[in-house]
Amino acid sequence: MYKYSNIDKKIIADRTKQFQNQVERRLNGKLTEEEFKPLRLMNGLYLQLHAYMLRVAIPYGELSSTQLRKLAFIADKFDRGYGHFTTRQNIQFNWPKLPEVPEILDQLSEVEMHAIQTSGNCIRNISSDHLAGLTAEEVEDPRPWCEIIRKWSTFHPEFSFLPRKFKIAVTGCLEDRTALLVHDIGLRLIKKNNVIGFEVFVGGGQGRTPHIAKMIRSFLSKKDLLNYLEAILTTYNQLGRRDNIYKARIKILVNELGVQKFKSLVEKNFVKFSNEKLKLDKNTINDIFNFFKLPKLKYSSNKLPISKNKKFNEWKQQNTLPHKISGYSIVLISLKPPGKPPGDADSRQMQELANISDDFSFGEIRVTHEQNLVLPHVNNTQIYQLWQQLDILKLATPNIGLISDTICCPGMDYCALATARSIPISQKIGNNFKKYFDQKSIGDIKIKISGCINACGHHHVGNIGILGLDRNGEEFYQITLGGSAKEDAAIGQIIGPSFSEKKLISAIRRIIKTYRKNKKNASEDFLSVFRRIGIEAFKKDLYDNTRKKN
Amino acid sequence: MTKKLKGDFFLLSANELQSGKVVFYTKKGWLPNSNKAIKIHRDDLSKYDDIFKKDEEKCIIISAKFVELDESGKIKTLRDKIRDSGLTIKIK
Repeated sequence: MYKYSNIDKKIIADRTKQFQNQVERRLNGKLTEEEFKPLRLMNGLYLQLHAYMLRVAIPYGELSSTQLRKLAFIADKFDRGYGHFTTRQNIQFNWPKLPEVPEILDQLSEVEMHAIQTSGNCIRNISSDHLAGLTAEEVEDPRPWCEIIRKWSTFHPEFSFLPRKFKIAVTGCLEDRTALLVHDIGLRLIKKNNVIGFEVFVGGGQGRTPHIAKMIRSFLSKKDLLNYLEAILTTYNQLGRRDNIYKARIKILVNELGVQKFKSLVEKNFVKFSNEKLKLDKNTINDIFNFFKLPKLKYSSNKLPISKNKKFNEWKQQNTLPHKISGYSIVLISLKPPGKPPGDADSRQMQELANISDDFSFGEIRVTHEQNLVLPHVNNTQIYQLWQQLDILKLATPNIGLISDTICCPGMDYCALATARSIPISQKIGNNFKKYFDQKSIGDIKIKISGCINACGHHHVGNIGILGLDRNGEEFYQITLGGSAKEDAAIGQIIGPSFSEKKLISAIRRIIKTYRKNKKNASEDFLSVFRRIGIEAFKKDLYDNTRKKN
Repeated sequence: MTKKLKGDFFLLSANELQSGKVVFYTKKGWLPNSNKAIKIHRDDLSKYDDIFKKDEEKCIIISAKFVELDESGKIKTLRDKIRDSGLTIKIK
């Protein structure tokens, strides 16, 4: 795991001090709210419906046990005893008080964390594959590249006031677990003629105008990564629209110019502005890679234990994956137990999980973009014992990848922008599909719920997407089908008129029924069936039934 | 702020600067629930504009807004209802 250099430590300490001064000036009236707002946003502090919200960066979703313990402490001392893990692998505290925020940032800096660039029109937290470095099919670990980009983009003077926010994801696998193609820039490590480099995608995004990113470079040499990113960002900074917030993201620019034109402008800037200082030499790259070595794991032939305990077996089947080192497993911890807000963890769970990660997984925890957690290196001989401890903490729900493993934004319960609630919808889905056997018989499916068109709940790329709308003061929910955030990324299609909160769950049940009816075999998943039979079959079943009932 | 408002009666609401907590303007100043909030007729809105601007300047509140009431005198929109009564979900 990356350790801060003295420079990192200094810039975080300086920024904390600077923000403390800004808060003091705000509280004594020397700064107006208009002056203060951009300053607090640069430090991840929003004003939401009921309170301030502080978004803390978790670079590429990687946490140490010490950091998780600190987050638990902050949740208890400064908040209401819980935190919310987000779809960009960050954590949000929903109730901090303004005078205490500098102290929170100070506490975070003690464990090499901060809230810088978690808001505002700058390059945000770099996100990555939660299985980075753990799987055999990976071309290369993407985390060192995320760290290289993090270093380059932090306080980058030219890219601190971009037309809009900017999100970058990096993966090292063909199988995409990062939602790469709905990022402003997606970088995929590939091997070509035995040389590793990057495929570069630009212009993906969700919100009110969803786009799938397009490839502008089929192979970028590692040494040129930062210069090429500079070329993309410079092109966007020069030409991205600043006159209309809804048209300011890079996806709009790429779409308006056309990908070929955008690509040629980037290539020109790449040649024109390429800077020797930004060329990455082998030593620099190696120095960063050294932070990301695997812990000392011993190969063994130990398999996952066989047990008569049904609950354990379900969890083992659903929530564990093979590690690339034989004898170890990757454990996925669901933050979607029935009836709880997706992505929330209370301080006790965080505290205990930090201890568990020390005991079972070398003090390492990952955050997934699907709002779950990962213990990356668990010895197979300890799996049963681990499960027992997770079960006590209500962290052993066996639903990873199943229908109750929904992605969900905070919605109108918290968010000042939302037009409808999303957490209660997720909870209803969880309660309606509670039994493992039922969920398993449906198979892999992604339901994603957003409380407004800004799409923080990724509804556009849900196999079933749910978008909350305000219709004359009443909450209605529009359903889309066929979206995917994976390597076959697709934007979902709207199935038809929206549903009231009351009728939404039965609509989802009918959609599932259509899927089951058309499934060719047990392993054909929802998305495959949708792609084979198309939306009309679903539409017919859904609305015909509705009419009969009405 | 008053130009887009549609209804006849409103409450004045804001967030406390320090805590971010939702507050409503009452005869006793800014309090956290709407029961005692002053019911304001649309003709009087501009008078209250001055009140919240002063309290914003005094660093007491931020993000002030008029909350529309329905015909029965209750808060009209779901967002404002949630602002007043808190989360609709169990958090722990």
